[in-house]
Amino acid sequence: MESYMSFSYITLLLLEGFGKTFLLFFLTLFFSLPLGLVVSFGSMSKIKPLQYVTRIFVWIIRGTPLMLQLFVVFYVPGILFDVQLFNGVNGRFTAALVAFVINYACYFSEIYRGGIEGIPHGQYEAGQVLGMTKPEIFFRVILMQVVKRILAPISNEVITLVKDTSLARVIAVAEIFYQNENYILSKGVVWPLFYIGVFFLIFVGGLTLLFNYLEKKLSYYRV
Amino acid sequence: MAFLEIKNLRKRFGDNEVLKGIDFSMEKGEVISVIGSSGGGKTTFLRCLNFLEKADEGEFFIENTLLFDAKALYTDTEIREKRLSFGLVFQSFHLFPQYTTLQNVLIPLNLRTFEREGVKRLPFRKRRVAKAEITERNRQKAMEILKSVGLESKINEYPCHLSGGQCQRVAIARALALSPSILCFDEPTSALDPELTGEVLRVIKELKNEGRTMIIVTHEMEFARFVSDRVVFMADGVIEESGTPSEVFDNPKSPKTKAFLASYQESF
Ligand SMILES: Nc1ncnc2c1ncn2[C@@H]1O[C@H](COP(=O)(O)OP(=O)(O)OP(=O)(O)O)[C@@H](O)[C@H]1O
Ligand SMILES: [Mg+2]
Repeated sequence: MESYMSFSYITLLLLEGFGKTFLLFFLTLFFSLPLGLVVSFGSMSKIKPLQYVTRIFVWIIRGTPLMLQLFVVFYVPGILFDVQLFNGVNGRFTAALVAFVINYACYFSEIYRGGIEGIPHGQYEAGQVLGMTKPEIFFRVILMQVVKRILAPISNEVITLVKDTSLARVIAVAEIFYQNENYILSKGVVWPLFYIGVFFLIFVGGLTLLFNYLEKKLSYYRV
Repeated sequence: MAFLEIKNLRKRFGDNEVLKGIDFSMEKGEVISVIGSSGGGKTTFLRCLNFLEKADEGEFFIENTLLFDAKALYTDTEIREKRLSFGLVFQSFHLFPQYTTLQNVLIPLNLRTFEREGVKRLPFRKRRVAKAEITERNRQKAMEILKSVGLESKINEYPCHLSGGQCQRVAIARALALSPSILCFDEPTSALDPELTGEVLRVIKELKNEGRTMIIVTHEMEFARFVSDRVVFMADGVIEESGTPSEVFDNPKSPKTKAFLASYQESF
């Protein structure tokens, strides 16, 4: 038994958990940041039905717990349609990823929408009278201003995501807490909890530094 | 026919008919000031010319060719092409805050030159060379224009570090870079502190000396008298009176013009 509880063994287990946490975090961002933009276009669409459907969807996702969404994504396809979308260990991870991406895309979409709608109308009109096309106006004029406006709320959301990854354990994704609980805490050892705390502090600290750096980079102009 | 000819221009917002059949014409090189009380439709008139609002009725001719007919349907691309005949300087500048003075002038100019010279259709490598060439050529032009508005020392500043007067001069340079046939100003000095209006008005005066065709909506009566070849008084969506500055300011015929000018003098 002694060997199972050795520092190196526990470290190995936790590292595996860290790995999963990292992966979930980066993949969620990778998919949800662009998907959020698509959702925000839907919620600002001139086509009213599309706008309503998108806004209601966003409202539902933002109005229900992420934990519930994890359960729904993981179990409902099997129960209702008898299809096993998410099989095995990787299946659980994929299910968690899908739930996270949908959830975060909706949060990001609202941030994008706020950012885009906050741009003064004159910026579009200036682009228009200078003969710019719609894509030119969006990519050359609007986008950078939106990025600057949304950087702070996005950074909040990203840091929340770091901590939300721990929710994946509810469908038994072997992220850091799952590892901790199943193999370590049950053996009555407490110090790995501090280990995890330090991990999150370093992770969040690094992200905070990154976002501060980006904010500085963009501080050369004011919108 | 005159250089620019506007016939029976009408525009309504819901139940509110803002332009009630404007007939307007101007010659090349002419400077026309448009004056009138608030809500008379001056801004709407300029916005229709620049296709920021779609006119409900009316026709625009430039040099005897039909530019726009409200009855026709145009694609976005066609409208974009047509609006390049006009330039518009806004009351509150609307500079692009993330770009320097030079970039504000250069980027829109580059985009249009790339399009006109078909850069997009070139293979990737040639495209880069062509873009670099065009940018170099346009940079010269942008620098010249910026020099002519007295901003050569500010080319690398961002708009947030410029005064209102300097911003408005950048906005004028940006519009000039696209060589519009007719440059429109909507109250170019109304957002400025009084001590900064002079530098902008001087630039406009210089443009007149260069022979630019301009329509200037303004509340600066002294300036309008001094810079314009003709003054147009607009009230309640119609052109109430027009003539030389001395005709309109010294011998107004319409009672509405008289009342407007009188109220103006009282307020000072
Ligand atoms: N987008 C719009 N929607 C509805 N009504 C509008 C719109 N734009 C202008 N109007 C109305 O049109 C009328 C004329 O407005 P406009 O801005 O053209 O006047 P103006 O002569 O430029 O006045 P000012 O001297 O105050 O700038 C006003 O009654 C205004 O409320
Ligand atoms: Mg106005």
